[in-house]
Amino acid sequence: MGFDLSILAKHVPFLLEGLWLTTVVCLGALAGSIVLGIVVAACRTAASPLARRLSAIYVDVFRNIPFIVQLFFFYFGLPEVGIYIEAAPTGIIALSIAGGAYTSDVIRAGILAIEPGILEAAEVSGLTRRKIFTMVILPIALRTSIRPLGAVCVNLVLTSSVLSTITLNELTGSAKIVAAETFRPFEVYAALLIAYACLTYAVSGLFGALHRHVNRHTAGEVA
Amino acid sequence: MRYTEFTPYDIVLLLQGLSVTLWLFVASTLIGGALGLGFAVVRYYRVLLLRQLVHGLAELLKNSPVLVQLFLVFFGLPVLMKINLTPSQAALITLSGNTAAFVYVIAVSAIEAISRDQIEAARVFGLTRWTILRRVIAPQALAFAIGPLTGLLVNQLQVTSLISVIGVIDLTKVGHILNLRTLKPFIVWAVVGALYYLTAKAVAYAGSRLERRLRAHTDWKGV
Repeated sequence: MGFDLSILAKHVPFLLEGLWLTTVVCLGALAGSIVLGIVVAACRTAASPLARRLSAIYVDVFRNIPFIVQLFFFYFGLPEVGIYIEAAPTGIIALSIAGGAYTSDVIRAGILAIEPGILEAAEVSGLTRRKIFTMVILPIALRTSIRPLGAVCVNLVLTSSVLSTITLNELTGSAKIVAAETFRPFEVYAALLIAYACLTYAVSGLFGALHRHVNRHTAGEVA
Repeated sequence: MRYTEFTPYDIVLLLQGLSVTLWLFVASTLIGGALGLGFAVVRYYRVLLLRQLVHGLAELLKNSPVLVQLFLVFFGLPVLMKINLTPSQAALITLSGNTAAFVYVIAVSAIEAISRDQIEAARVFGLTRWTILRRVIAPQALAFAIGPLTGLLVNQLQVTSLISVIGVIDLTKVGHILNLRTLKPFIVWAVVGALYYLTAKAVAYAGSRLERRLRAHTDWKGV
């Protein structure tokens, strides 16, 4: 039997359902990891040594343990402590926590790159510390870190394929089912490989466009 | 009869899993590193057609989930080419290919980081192309690349955890087996996570030691 992609045609709607789930999970995890990343980045650049130490440990631990181990920790562990949630929310939570570690690093770099003069000006103007963070530091830091955030998002999309191991039928999970039904695994997974490459290509293109749009007035300063 | 308690033998089991993980990590790093370097040299010498092929392949491998690549090799290749692959063989092929793609990118940027003047100077001295590559480019490129390479290796160590999905009895799979037997997810996954964490830290430490040695010649030695 040769290479024949046409057998995939009638399974396309099913695969698109998987793609939809992948999209939903990734958007949820992206939102979660950005919120978590902002909080952790604030802690890592805070004046308090305790907050700095704790947040550094969080980033270190979640960057150095494989995602699948973290995922199993939550998937098998949460019911143990009486939290019964389905695979999809578990996956979004695990992806957000793992992604938060990377996001916080990106946002921290953005915060550290801000000129001290801007912060001094804000302090002299009599703004409260909270106002300085939310209205001065954060907008500048987020604006400069859009491109690296795009790289984190691409990684989120790729990592979301691991969720198929906890019975979540996202794109990879549904491809597994199609491969088992048609018994043409090579065609299915080759098509899936291309599909993921296109998806990540689109995601990084989107973030590139966002970066150009947000930084359109400062084109000279922010390369 | 069911053994739901932990036994001393479980430690042996965990260490066995760790040794399988380490073995595949080292083997795929060596093979992938050699392949990636070969790709980079192909690009450096601008070999026609092969260069575009290598670049496209690297992009595809970088932008698709390792899990899908594993499925393609383990389930797809045997059906298409009518061969038999054991899970370990499939894992070795996939991980090596994936490592090669990332090593290629790092090696290319490391070679490009060396200024043209040095190569021109070496040519003026009448060194052959091979001597230039070995004596001028390689030592400097290695010193430049060792940082990113360490980061890559720490990442690839975590990627090896995915091979448990196709049935290789690595550290993650051992964790899965222990988890199903004892039903104590928090202890099992915390121990597995800790083992991965320590291994990753060891790799990072070795990388930073090596980096310091390779960069020793640039240190200020005093007048």
